[in-house]
Amino acid sequence: MGKSLKALLCVLVLLLTASIAFAALPKPVGFVNDFAQVIDRRTQEELNAISEKLKDNQGIEVAVVTVVSTQPETPKQYATKLFNEWGIGGPEDSGLLILLAVEDREIQVEVGYGLEGVLPDGKVGGILDDFVIPHFVKGDYSKGLLEGTKAFAQALAGESYTTAASRNPDLVGFIIFIIIAILVTWLARRSPSGPGPTGPLGPRGTVHRSPYPHPTPPMPPIFRGPKGGRGGFGGFGGGRSGGGGAGRKF
Amino acid sequence: MKRSWIIVVGIIVILAVFLVSQYNRLVFLETNVDAKWAQVENQLQRRADLIPNLVNTVKGYASHEEQIFTEIAAARSRLLSAADPRAQMEANNSLDLALGRLLAIAENYPQLKADASFIRLQDELAGTENRIAVERMRYNEAVQDWNWTIRRFPTVLVARLFGMEARPFFEAAPGAQVTPRVEF
Repeated sequence: MGKSLKALLCVLVLLLTASIAFAALPKPVGFVNDFAQVIDRRTQEELNAISEKLKDNQGIEVAVVTVVSTQPETPKQYATKLFNEWGIGGPEDSGLLILLAVEDREIQVEVGYGLEGVLPDGKVGGILDDFVIPHFVKGDYSKGLLEGTKAFAQALAGESYTTAASRNPDLVGFIIFIIIAILVTWLARRSPSGPGPTGPLGPRGTVHRSPYPHPTPPMPPIFRGPKGGRGGFGGFGGGRSGGGGAGRKF
Repeated sequence: MKRSWIIVVGIIVILAVFLVSQYNRLVFLETNVDAKWAQVENQLQRRADLIPNLVNTVKGYASHEEQIFTEIAAARSRLLSAADPRAQMEANNSLDLALGRLLAIAENYPQLKADASFIRLQDELAGTENRIAVERMRYNEAVQDWNWTIRRFPTVLVARLFGMEARPFFEAAPGAQVTPRVEF
């Protein structure tokens, strides 16, 4: 009795864990979902900035996801499931999922129906070979994912996403804000009908007040940077995919 | 006398409403199966279109492997000339096997494996295999829904009445699970 009972128990436990593993798809926390915790903070913010820009400019949703493992499914099956469960991409199915399964040592890129024309599988594979895998084999997941995402963004937008542009958007915004503030105060003081030095802007020296925290920064979205980024994610838009894309083991 | 007439008419009306609604539901489900199969066909066609390019690239490095090339060409033309889903499935399965062998042969040619256009074609092929797998799954789900509905009472009566039949599942050929993969 002992043996068969044990076997039965084993099967039951296996079935149970399998069904749990199948059922438990995580919920998205943003454009970047570092469930395996392999991306450093700075890279996460840069990835987020790229995704936001693509979403704002073209309505394309790019999700970067890392998981420890996708077992019992293959990373590809998992990617297709996750893509459609989350609905990455808007009503035009213009979504892209970059999935890194760390312990499976595999990266899978799933392309939404709407982007299959711009990103054919061969191109996806080429980007993985040229920009991602060289960093992955050295163990640098952050760099690989960042360079890969930039390359995909470039292919999608037809424009360059350089590191310099997204390096410190807060600082650029800050400097421009100061320049504008100086200009405005200067103009206000010069103008005869203006409020004058003791107007609502307060006495001289107001300019030096730190603009942080500024409740409604008069900046275009490009300067929003990582600060606005975390609050900017409002869920994905219902995109679909059908297994397109490419993957690599490394 | 008058009363029983009303009852008879009432029953006929109820039956007609039932019949129409069930019939419409069945038509919807059957259309769904057909639409899903059309998606599968799209992907099968996509793969068939990729094959000549792939074969030509392999030929560039392994021209003497005549046998596999003719095998693939035969399987491909059988797929393209297949008329109904069942024949398409069979032809597709033999194409699967032939393609698996072609890729296994390619393993013996390091220069071919490093060829940029071969790598790109392999990506396209792998992507198409994945698409076929996804569409096959969605088709099979639609078929399951359909087959279950037309066997169930009382829809079985309506289905019989209009000659609606069960549809075949699309199963992968045994041993054909060799999704090509580019490895480094």
